[in-house]
Amino acid sequence: MKLILDHQTPAKIHNPKNHHHYSFKDYFQFDADKGTIVDWNDAQNIFATEDFIIGLVEGLEEEVGEASAAIMYTIGCEWGQKDAFFFEKWFEKEFDRPVRQTNLMFLLETWWWPFTAQGWGRWEVDMGDRRQGFMFINLFDSALARTLGDVGKPVCHLYAGLFSGFFTEMVKKQLGCIEIQCYSMGETYCKFLLGGQERIDAASFWLNEGATAKDIEKRLRSGELK
Amino acid sequence: MLSQMQRLSFNVEGRYATDEELRFIPEYLKTYELRLQTYQKLQEIEGIVIQQVLDKVLAQAPNTIRTDTIDVSANCKRDVTMIWRYSVAALLMDDPDTLRERCLLWFQTIVRAINRQKVCYATYTAMQDVVKQYLTPQQSSLFLPILDLNRRLLGND
Repeated sequence: MKLILDHQTPAKIHNPKNHHHYSFKDYFQFDADKGTIVDWNDAQNIFATEDFIIGLVEGLEEEVGEASAAIMYTIGCEWGQKDAFFFEKWFEKEFDRPVRQTNLMFLLETWWWPFTAQGWGRWEVDMGDRRQGFMFINLFDSALARTLGDVGKPVCHLYAGLFSGFFTEMVKKQLGCIEIQCYSMGETYCKFLLGGQERIDAASFWLNEGATAKDIEKRLRSGELK
Repeated sequence: MLSQMQRLSFNVEGRYATDEELRFIPEYLKTYELRLQTYQKLQEIEGIVIQQVLDKVLAQAPNTIRTDTIDVSANCKRDVTMIWRYSVAALLMDDPDTLRERCLLWFQTIVRAINRQKVCYATYTAMQDVVKQYLTPQQSSLFLPILDLNRRLLGND
């Protein structure tokens, strides 16, 4: 039986084109009879506990060892690619205009709002180096990092994959992403580098050599790997 | 008020509320008449205040609303009107938390995305000056903190 997901909270019925609908009550519709949580964009949501996240990450690590980071990244990539298509649909429906004729920063903030409402954290996009072919994303309150705590290494591979998949699809150019600073390394927030694969590989190498996010930013901005 | 009611209903689940926890209700009722009068007054002066504010901001820094290539004053007026109405509702219900959660936090990210913090700062500074001319000091004391919240959330980097 196919489940029909249709968000029908009073807020949406009253004003379906309302753009600021991200409060908990407006964004989620709970149906106790069907056992569903449907968000404003008619997607089914599942609420997971921190125990679930720990189980997922540690269980995967136990099964595949160090490859778990790559698996989480790949899952994120596929999710990001799919979400780019999903986003394009709901954005055009809500704003009556194509995504490619929209101010880029406005577009990106609009894309991230559902994630904020779902508890994935707030973000800040730094496009200052876009012309050089890379950019940084700061993530506050990563669901993964705040759950796992200080474990001394980056843990937000799922996010890195999500950014890679989404941006690759949006700009139609293969982009990779790496977390170069993580709350789980004792930092106050997480930082991601998004760009061509050669830059991501270089950042990964520098990171393994002990470079900090600041070192990496400096090296990229000074023109290494042009 | 609504946020406080929700918190109360959550906190007192399975027990009775203390006098301290109930205190906000009579306090709200004491101010209700003044809130309603102010609400009605703000409804009446909406158009005139917003126009005066936009004129003032435009006079101070013409490039903030109009540029050589585009005139965004219609969008600006629409957005200011939207925030005004949420703010006026927050005044009536004594509920800045809902204003913040349902509207300002979202709008803050949009303002930052299109780099309009300065114009927002100027708008909500000017709005405090303009609105004071139409309200009694008592009415102002209820509404100005809400405009200040708008300025702090939308007008800062």
